[in-house]
Amino acid sequence: MTSTMEFKKTTLDNGLTLIGEVNTSAKSAAVGFFVKTGARDETEQVNGVSHFLEHMLFKGTEKLDALQVNEAFDRTGAQFNAGTSEENTVYYAAVLPEYLLEVTRLWIELMRPALRDDDFSIEKNVIKQEIAMYKDQPSFDVIDRCRRLHFQDHPCGYSVLGSEQSIDGLTNRQMQDYFGLRYVPNNMVVACSGNFDWDEFRSVVEKPCSNWLGQAVARPLTYYTGSRKKERLEKSSLSCEHLCFMSEAVSSQDPRRFAAYLLATIVGDDVGSRFYWELVDKALAEAAAMQFGPMDGMGILCSYICCSSRNMQTVMSTVTSIFDALDRDGVTPGELTKAKNKILSALVIKNELPMGRLLDLGFNWIYLGQYRSIEDDIRAIRAVTVDDVNALITQLRPGDFTQYSIGPGRSI
Amino acid sequence: MVILGEPMDAVESVAFDFMLPAGAAILPQGCCGAANVIADWVFRGAGCRDNRQFGDALDGLGLHRSISINSSHITVGAVLEASNLAPALDLYADIILRPRLEQDQFEPARQLAIEAVRALDDDPRHKVMLELRKQFYPSPLGRSTIGEMAELETLTAEKTKQIVSENFNISQTIFSVAGKYNFDAVCKQLENLFETNNQGRLEPIALGTKAGRYRHIHNEGAQVHIGLMTETVKLNHQDYYDTRVAVSVLSGGMSARLFTEVREKRGLCYSVGARYHSLKEAAGITCYAGTTPDKAQETLDVIIGEFNRLADGITQEELDRAKIGLKASLILQSESSISRAGAIGGDYYMLGRVRSLDEVKRKVEATSVDSVLQCLRNNRFKDFTVVTIGSQEVTLK
Repeated sequence: MTSTMEFKKTTLDNGLTLIGEVNTSAKSAAVGFFVKTGARDETEQVNGVSHFLEHMLFKGTEKLDALQVNEAFDRTGAQFNAGTSEENTVYYAAVLPEYLLEVTRLWIELMRPALRDDDFSIEKNVIKQEIAMYKDQPSFDVIDRCRRLHFQDHPCGYSVLGSEQSIDGLTNRQMQDYFGLRYVPNNMVVACSGNFDWDEFRSVVEKPCSNWLGQAVARPLTYYTGSRKKERLEKSSLSCEHLCFMSEAVSSQDPRRFAAYLLATIVGDDVGSRFYWELVDKALAEAAAMQFGPMDGMGILCSYICCSSRNMQTVMSTVTSIFDALDRDGVTPGELTKAKNKILSALVIKNELPMGRLLDLGFNWIYLGQYRSIEDDIRAIRAVTVDDVNALITQLRPGDFTQYSIGPGRSI
Repeated sequence: MVILGEPMDAVESVAFDFMLPAGAAILPQGCCGAANVIADWVFRGAGCRDNRQFGDALDGLGLHRSISINSSHITVGAVLEASNLAPALDLYADIILRPRLEQDQFEPARQLAIEAVRALDDDPRHKVMLELRKQFYPSPLGRSTIGEMAELETLTAEKTKQIVSENFNISQTIFSVAGKYNFDAVCKQLENLFETNNQGRLEPIALGTKAGRYRHIHNEGAQVHIGLMTETVKLNHQDYYDTRVAVSVLSGGMSARLFTEVREKRGLCYSVGARYHSLKEAAGITCYAGTTPDKAQETLDVIIGEFNRLADGITQEELDRAKIGLKASLILQSESSISRAGAIGGDYYMLGRVRSLDEVKRKVEATSVDSVLQCLRNNRFKDFTVVTIGSQEVTLK
């Protein structure tokens, strides 16, 4: 399958990069607009603006209102959406090949939105509803709070959604200013994957996007190792304990990121990991997982555990002994081999879908300015040794973490 | 055992499912949640391997397990690189035919099922939809697929073992595979693995009564979570495709009625959507919305208003968008071996045959404004069953 893939790239005079990976054996195509902006690019005062702006792009342009935008998308049958994180805002659509150009033209138009006052006011309600929705999901809330505790005042700790207060205080003018600074050609990548014709795609994108202007922008990178603080919130309405641990890890640019993925899989994959055998298999915790979150210039290892209050003490002492053993003895060759098998098969399966491939394609360009084929990643994962993973453990000390817990009562 | 296969070009993966007739609705009375205990327990050692050895063997193949429970089946399956299919099937045959079901592994399996029920209290979005099905479908069809705390607390290893021996009925099991595989080789292997086991038919489910129209569960959360459901035609009904198109007009995309009226025009919710849900015995259209307490009543009223307004008329444009949306999602799903293995197994259980993608496309294509309206008028939404979780009750008018 992978041998039929062909990489394409062009850069417009204004700095906008277009990339594509053509796979003529796919039944669909996926297109994405990757904007290198997210919560960490905000100030405390306008926290939540990146995500709010993502919603506002669907509200239309000078020519199209929100209902027309939704109708235009639905006419293509696209599976489309957008997402905002700490450092990226991504707009994407998966479509049948015959609708790719139509949906691409639509996205291009939307990238230059009207940002009308009345749309802004009504969407503010929707954003506040979204904040309320996540408040009712402690498994999400605890990670958001732990991130803030871990990064303290560093912008990487800002909440993607913002708070009710910051959203209340936000003005449309502030959003327009933010848009003008961040949605500039050198800060965006247009990517396409799957079954499509590159020349056609390029010609559809090139002309309208060449008119995009804006001063080049860069993200200042300041490193922060994390606070290692511990905090707890009690809510009597809850039934379970929700725990989050966060510690320093390598960045999206760091070649050791593959070792970090393997480390997180060995420690906290949802089955077969150390967390699994010590916590879930023994029914001490209902869920226990660790994920590696590489970011621009830094990274995190983030663990989430859900357990009953009764088991909280035992869970905490088990977690301590898992990390102590990791620090003392490192990982075993058997564990590394299993983790590699799992990651490699997940990689192959995910990349069978043009939509799955699009995200890797776009993010590799955003973070590395580089095309990486699936084979490049497979080789990099295969090459990781036990010593590589153990060196990472020695350097990062994952047991020395920031900790946030939310639970019904009885503090630890 | 029925063996179904769908080969796919251009993939290196293969996905398979064993649909075991041990779903929530067909378990004995008083054992709600036993399916979750079973789905965990059978993986805790099988054949010649103990718990740890079995887990390591699965991980060694780099396979990603899938376990799901619905009202009719426990489905155990996996997706993996195609070259490891044969050893994976050997391991799954052990799970199904030779699970060790050791006493000391029962308690953690049961505890995990209890913890999952407890965790549901902290996930009201998920909980409201489970409670809704319980309220809507005649008992026992709507039984919680997660389980009931009180019933799990009294569940014994002996009872659970008995369920496994009665319900892991090979003659009633559906096996489906999709992706890259050799069908003859798979059939031959399964014949060898499962040849000695043949059992009789399972008893059909006796249906009880439906619960009341409205249930409120109090919780001091930030939102009121609203679940709503109304009766509709089943998958084998002649009006099925018209119904699917109608649900798509209501909630297929962002230009569909619910999103437009509830979120875009009124800003009442972040999340609102309706979908078609069918069991073999009954079907419904389900709808979820989450909103703050001050907006809960208006949200419900607008949603019910939109359901009822559908039969008044739909435009050709709405119909066209609904059709292309349904067709595109069908084709996009057909690129995923996991989706296809699930879809062909589901079809066989519901219809006794597998529909081709072309057949589905053709039937969606054959719908018209007139046929959809006729279907809506033939099958008017009579009653709405509503469940809310939150600090505020609503009134069903």
